[in-house]
Amino acid sequence: MKQIILKRLTMLVLVLLGVTLITFFLSHVIPGDPARMMVGQRASEETLQEVRRQLGLDQPVWVQYLTYMKGLFAGDFGNSIRTQQPVVHDLIAFFPATLELAITAFIIAIAIGIPLGVLSAVKKDTGWDHSSRFFSIAGISTPVFWSGLVGILIFYKFLGALPSSGRLDLTIPPPAKITGLYLLDSLITGNWAAFTNSLWHLILPAFTLAFAQLAIVTRQVRSSMLEVLGQEYIRTALANGIHGPVLLLRYALRNALIPTVTVVGLSFGSLLGGAVVTETIFSWPGMGKYVVDSIAFLDFPAMMGFTFVISFGYVVINLLVDLTYYTLDPQIKE
Amino acid sequence: MSSLSAKANAALPPRKSTLFWFRLRRSPLTLLGLFLLAMLLLLAVCAPLISPHDPTRINIVERFSPPSADHWFGTDEVGRDIFTRILYGARLSLGVGVAVVLSAGLVGTIIGAVSGYFGGRVDQIIMRMMDIVLAFPSLVLAMAVAAVLGPNLQNAMLAIAIIKIPVYVRLARAETLALREKLYVKAAATFGIKPWRIILRHIIPNAVSPVIIQVTLDIGDAILLVATLGFLGLGAQPPTPEWGAMISIGWKYLLDYWWYPTFPGLALFLASCGFNLIGDGIRDILDPKANR
Repeated sequence: MKQIILKRLTMLVLVLLGVTLITFFLSHVIPGDPARMMVGQRASEETLQEVRRQLGLDQPVWVQYLTYMKGLFAGDFGNSIRTQQPVVHDLIAFFPATLELAITAFIIAIAIGIPLGVLSAVKKDTGWDHSSRFFSIAGISTPVFWSGLVGILIFYKFLGALPSSGRLDLTIPPPAKITGLYLLDSLITGNWAAFTNSLWHLILPAFTLAFAQLAIVTRQVRSSMLEVLGQEYIRTALANGIHGPVLLLRYALRNALIPTVTVVGLSFGSLLGGAVVTETIFSWPGMGKYVVDSIAFLDFPAMMGFTFVISFGYVVINLLVDLTYYTLDPQIKE
Repeated sequence: MSSLSAKANAALPPRKSTLFWFRLRRSPLTLLGLFLLAMLLLLAVCAPLISPHDPTRINIVERFSPPSADHWFGTDEVGRDIFTRILYGARLSLGVGVAVVLSAGLVGTIIGAVSGYFGGRVDQIIMRMMDIVLAFPSLVLAMAVAAVLGPNLQNAMLAIAIIKIPVYVRLARAETLALREKLYVKAAATFGIKPWRIILRHIIPNAVSPVIIQVTLDIGDAILLVATLGFLGLGAQPPTPEWGAMISIGWKYLLDYWWYPTFPGLALFLASCGFNLIGDGIRDILDPKANR
């Protein structure tokens, strides 16, 4: 077990180095002239040279990479062209909103996806199964921005039941900042008005984001449940008179969930990607909306900072998922 | 005599193709996917015959007309017919989705076969590179690449092809590792046939079937990714009748003119759904072991 962890940690370092190579390549090598982009077309040649020198663009590429790495280690992603703030400060400010949205969506996806997958496997080839399969294929086929729009149309415009944008009504002051997660902060400070209001604002974006994840979870749970249910120990359990929920949950689901962990972990990547789009549609003030706003300004420092942070998080999550997998599956112990 | 031969026939296992059609008929969802896709293809090919409107003609007088007998899906902010634009957009989205996935599949298969056949350091380097690409959430990397290359459809396609390649490399490599040990491949090497010829003639043709399943599964996703980049302003640029680009303008008008972003999104959903249903079905049919 220790060996596995050690090996995975070495891999982690290598992959993260690779990630920095790619973000460096994307931000420093491919764009023809970042200095020109920063100063604009009308700047004089002297200004251009000055900016180039300041940015270290007159140095050889490997020196530039070392400088870039030094910056990353110091948490310096450069200044955003759009907000004129250090990208790190921006990302830290927008991070809690994204985290709150992603976690909620993740919980929704698991809470609905697992029972649906079990149902589909138990009632294989019935109407239940067909509709749950159709539902999960529909989930991965629906563009996140479109399900968001349809949600707004139905629940905001026609039913008037849910708000369509932001984290809170304008009339409600945000809760005192402890974690930056409004739900948690308002709960800690006992601020019920803010709690219910932010929950209200969270429902539509979280369900939108969860929809695709839900599909992936349902699919995986269904197929691994089917596999487990066909195994002999299940038959033995049945023969011993164990049936119903005990058989399904304690005997079958526990084992079926092991491969699900991996798939769910991997799907976290599409959750992060989906957050970009969901936040844009719902004007959710998170990192995703921040980066989309940066695109229009060709704000490369902001975009690369975001790309690096998100990928870093994704790699770490995948490592955790793998380690969970090793601990869950007693068969993997060399 | 004749009844005897009939009995003998009945005992024979059915041919593979017969089995394929039999399983296909039993899978209503796959048939639904085929139907969806056939409809979309028909609409895309016959677009000029079906709609009397021009997808790019501006007609300010009729801007934001709600759906009617003349404009089935209404009109947009400069009076273009949305139904017509969706039809022409189908040509674009279907074509682009297929093209991106096929090229990623081709490039990935070749890289994977080379990696698996030569093994050693080449293999190590290639596979670590693929790990790095896979370390990024796909949409995030596609966004970064498309933004750096410059926002247009070609670059969006390139970006999506890049993020799709590693899956094919892994698939083809795994197949190649098994094929490399086959007697006919070893025999070919013994005869002095050059490695590239072995890879092209003996390895790739035999490694291709899992790749084909993956291709059908990926096209729907690629169509969505192209549209998502279009929606974010990183793909096809307006006034191109690309579904994502249409929605990127249209969603700002959602509350007043609901039809504008809704119908292109519906088309996108149906196209992607069609490919996913087929991909899912074909995987089940070709791989009954999967037990789905």
